Amino acid sequence: MSILSPYRVLDLTTERGLLCGQMLADMGADVIKVEPPGGSPARRVGPFYRDAPHPDRSLYWWAYNRNKRAITLDLERAAGRDLLRRLVERADFLIESHNPGHLSQHNLGFADLAEINPALIYVSITPFGQDGPKANYADSDLVIMAAGGPLILAGDADRPPVRLSIPQAYLHASADAAVAALAAHHERMRSGLGQHVDVAAVQSVAMATQSNTLAAVLGSVEPRRMSGGVKMGPIEIPLVWPASDGFVAMTFLFGSALGVFTARLMHFICEQGFCDEATRDKDWIAYGEQLFSGAEPLSEFDRIKELVRNFTRSHTKAELLALAVERGFLITPLTTIAEVVESPQFASRDYFQSVAHPEFGESFQYPGPFAKFSATPIEYRRRPPTVGEHNSEIYRDELGLSEREIADLTRAGII
Amino acid sequence: MPNDLPLKDVKICDFMWVMAGPASTRILADYGATVVRIESPTRVDTARTLQPYYGNQFGPDSSGLFANCNAGKFGISLDLGNPAARGVVHDLVRWADVVTESFSPKAMRAWGFDYETLRKINPGVIMLSSCLMGQTGPLAKIAGFGNMAAAISGFTNLTGWPDRPPSGVFGAYTDYVAPRFTAMAILAALDYRRRTGAGQYIDQSQAECAIHFLGPAILDYTVNGRVEERVGNSDTAFAPHGVYPAAGDDNWVAIVCRDDDDWRRLCAAMEDDDLARNLRYASAAGRLAHRDAIDSSIAKWSRALDRGAIQSRLQSHGVPAHQVQNSADAYADPQFKHRGHFVALDHPNLGKFTVEGPRAKLSRTPAAVRRMAPSLGQDNQYVLETILRYGETQITELVASGALG
Repeated sequence: MSILSPYRVLDLTTERGLLCGQMLADMGADVIKVEPPGGSPARRVGPFYRDAPHPDRSLYWWAYNRNKRAITLDLERAAGRDLLRRLVERADFLIESHNPGHLSQHNLGFADLAEINPALIYVSITPFGQDGPKANYADSDLVIMAAGGPLILAGDADRPPVRLSIPQAYLHASADAAVAALAAHHERMRSGLGQHVDVAAVQSVAMATQSNTLAAVLGSVEPRRMSGGVKMGPIEIPLVWPASDGFVAMTFLFGSALGVFTARLMHFICEQGFCDEATRDKDWIAYGEQLFSGAEPLSEFDRIKELVRNFTRSHTKAELLALAVERGFLITPLTTIAEVVESPQFASRDYFQSVAHPEFGESFQYPGPFAKFSATPIEYRRRPPTVGEHNSEIYRDELGLSEREIADLTRAGII
Repeated sequence: MPNDLPLKDVKICDFMWVMAGPASTRILADYGATVVRIESPTRVDTARTLQPYYGNQFGPDSSGLFANCNAGKFGISLDLGNPAARGVVHDLVRWADVVTESFSPKAMRAWGFDYETLRKINPGVIMLSSCLMGQTGPLAKIAGFGNMAAAISGFTNLTGWPDRPPSGVFGAYTDYVAPRFTAMAILAALDYRRRTGAGQYIDQSQAECAIHFLGPAILDYTVNGRVEERVGNSDTAFAPHGVYPAAGDDNWVAIVCRDDDDWRRLCAAMEDDDLARNLRYASAAGRLAHRDAIDSSIAKWSRALDRGAIQSRLQSHGVPAHQVQNSADAYADPQFKHRGHFVALDHPNLGKFTVEGPRAKLSRTPAAVRRMAPSLGQDNQYVLETILRYGETQITELVASGALG
C-alpha cells in the first residue's frame, strides 16, 4: 500500500497545473488525466523527444504526468459531460485549471459536481483566482511572475528584469494546490464533506520574493536587482562569485547568524594570503549595520569584495565546494543541467530514476522522488500516459461500458 | 479563538529554523495545526536577522521574513545542549503527531533526538528531516541556505542573459519550492497513519524536491542530450515575449503573445497597422525569427506610456500583459486586496505587523493566520503549563536549570 493509494483523482488541468496531480500520483493516488480528444494542450508544449513535435513526445508532458492514467473525453458535448459525472461519483479529488467560470458554464462547476458527490474536493488553479478585478486577465508565466513580485527582483541593473528561463508560475501554484487539497481531505475525514479549493498562481509566486513582498508595507528598503546579487539601498551585495572555471554561490553576509561564517571564511582567505589581518579581524557580525550607518565606507566594502573575488577566482568550482564541505564555508557551485544530472551527490542517493518507455524501446532518467519515506517509498509505477491510453480499462472495466458503446463513443469523437 | 480549521487536531513539534522549514509549518499552522516552534536561546535563528525589517530597523522581532515564516505558531526557547531540556523535548514528542527538523544531518542524533530514539517515546510519530542535500551522500553535511541549493540544482545558472554571466534567481529559491513538498509529505503521512497506525521517517532534500521545478529541462538533457541555458525573457515557442520599458524610473511591463490571435490583438491595441500588415510577423515562426525587430517596435511604443495604462489597454484586448510589480505595487494591487493576500496582525510592541495570508482559499473551512510569530520564548509558560501540563515547581526548576535561556 502506498501513502495515498485509496484515493482517486480526476485531473482536468490544461497546460497549467499538471504538477498538482503528479504530486498526488507520486504518492500513490489513482490519478486519471482527462483530456480532450486528440490530447491535452500540454502535449503541444516542447521540448520534444528527438525534437519531433507529437502529442506523445512532449517532454513537458512527460515531466508532469508520471504515475497518472489518461483518458480522452470531450467535455464540450453532453455525452462527454455525462461520462465525467459518472466518474465524479467515485472520485475523491478533481483538479482543474480552466479559466474561471468555464466549467460552470458546462454545468461542471464545483456546485454542480458537489450535488453528485458532496465529498468531492474540487481544486481550481488559475492565474489570478476565481473572482476579483483581474480574474479574467489573460496570462502566461512571465505575466504572473511580473504581477506576483519575483520578476522585478532578478536581472542585471542595466537591463529589464528577467525570469527564470524555465517557466515556474504554475509549478508554485500546483504545489500550493496539492497541499490545500490534502488539508481539505484531512478535514473531510471528520466532516464527510468536500469543498472548493481556489488557488491563484499570482499569490503562489509571491513566495519567491523571500518575503520582500512585505518590504513596502513594513517600511523596509525595497531590494533592487543586480547581476549576481542584490542591491539594498546603496549597498551592493554579491551572491554569485567567480571561480576559475565558472561561478559559485557564496553567502558572504553579516549579522549575528551569518557573520560567524564570514569570519571563518576571512580567516582562511587571510591564511591563503589574500588579505591582511586587520581586514580579517573586522567585526563581521556588526559589519552590515556599519555599512548601513555609514561607519564603514562603501569603498572599503568594495575593496573587501575585490579581495574575496581574488580568492574565489583562484580556485575551481570543485575546489571551492570541497573547501565548503571540509571547513563549513557557505559555498556551492553554479551548475548546468548536465552537472545536476551527473552529480555524485544525487547518484549516491539513487535520486534520478530510470523510467522505461517501451514505445521507444528506451529508458530515460527522471527527477526522482521528492522525499524518501521510510514506510511508504515513492515509486514510479507508470511512465506518462499516451493519448487515451487507458480509455478501454477505465470506460470498460470501471464504468462498465460495452466494447460497442466504446466504439460508438469513439466514432462520435466523444472519447 | 475557537479553532475549527481543517488541521485543528494536528500537533507539531517543530525544530526547524531559517526559511524552508518554518515556511512549511507556517502553511500547516494556517490550516489549523498547533505548531510549537523550538528556538535556541543562544544561537539566533538566521531568519530573525534578514530583511525586510519593520520600520527599516534591525531588531530581534523586526524581521518580516521571520514573521512571515512563523505566524500562527507558539514559540518556546530551549537550549538543546542543556540536559534539563531533554525531558521537555521528550514530553513535546510524546504530545506531537509530527516532529520536524531542518538542522544539518547528525545534529539531532548528537542531541539524542534522532528518529530511532524518538519513536521509542512515541511509536506512531511522524518525523521529517529537511536539509539542503538530504541526510546522506558526499554533500550531506554541507551547511547553508537556499541560495546555495538553488545554485547546485541548476536554478541560478538558468536565470539571466545568454550574452552575460548569470544574473541569478532572486535569493534562496529552493526555500520557496521545498516548503510545499514538506507540508504535502506531512499531510500524506498523517493520512497513512490514520489508516494504519504507522508513523514513519521522511528524509527530504530541498535540492531534490526543487529539481521537479526544472523537469522539462532535466528531460531535455536525459532524453535529447541538450543542455538548456538561460535565455533572458525569451521563449522557445512564443514571440513577442518580454519585458518592455514604460514611462518613469525602472518601470516595466511584461507582454506575451501566446499565438497569432494574441499578436493580432496586440497590433490592434498598439494601433500599429504596419506591424499588423507585416506578413513576416504573421506566424509564430516569423515572429521568433524577427524577435529583436518586434521587441524594438514594442519598446518604442511602450516607452512613453504609463505602465498601468499599457496593462489595462492590452488586457482589455485580451493580450497577456502586466506591469512588473515591486512590493509597493503588490500591496496596492486590487487583486491581491481582493484575495486578502496581506494580513495585518497585532504585534505586542510594534502595533500592526503585516504578513502574507494563506495561499489557497478553501470554500467551507478557510485557512486563517491566527497570531503573530512568537518572539523568542514568548510562549514558554503556555507551552509548559497548558500544553505539557507542568506544575509550578517543575516550571520553576526548569527555569533555574537555564534550559529556557
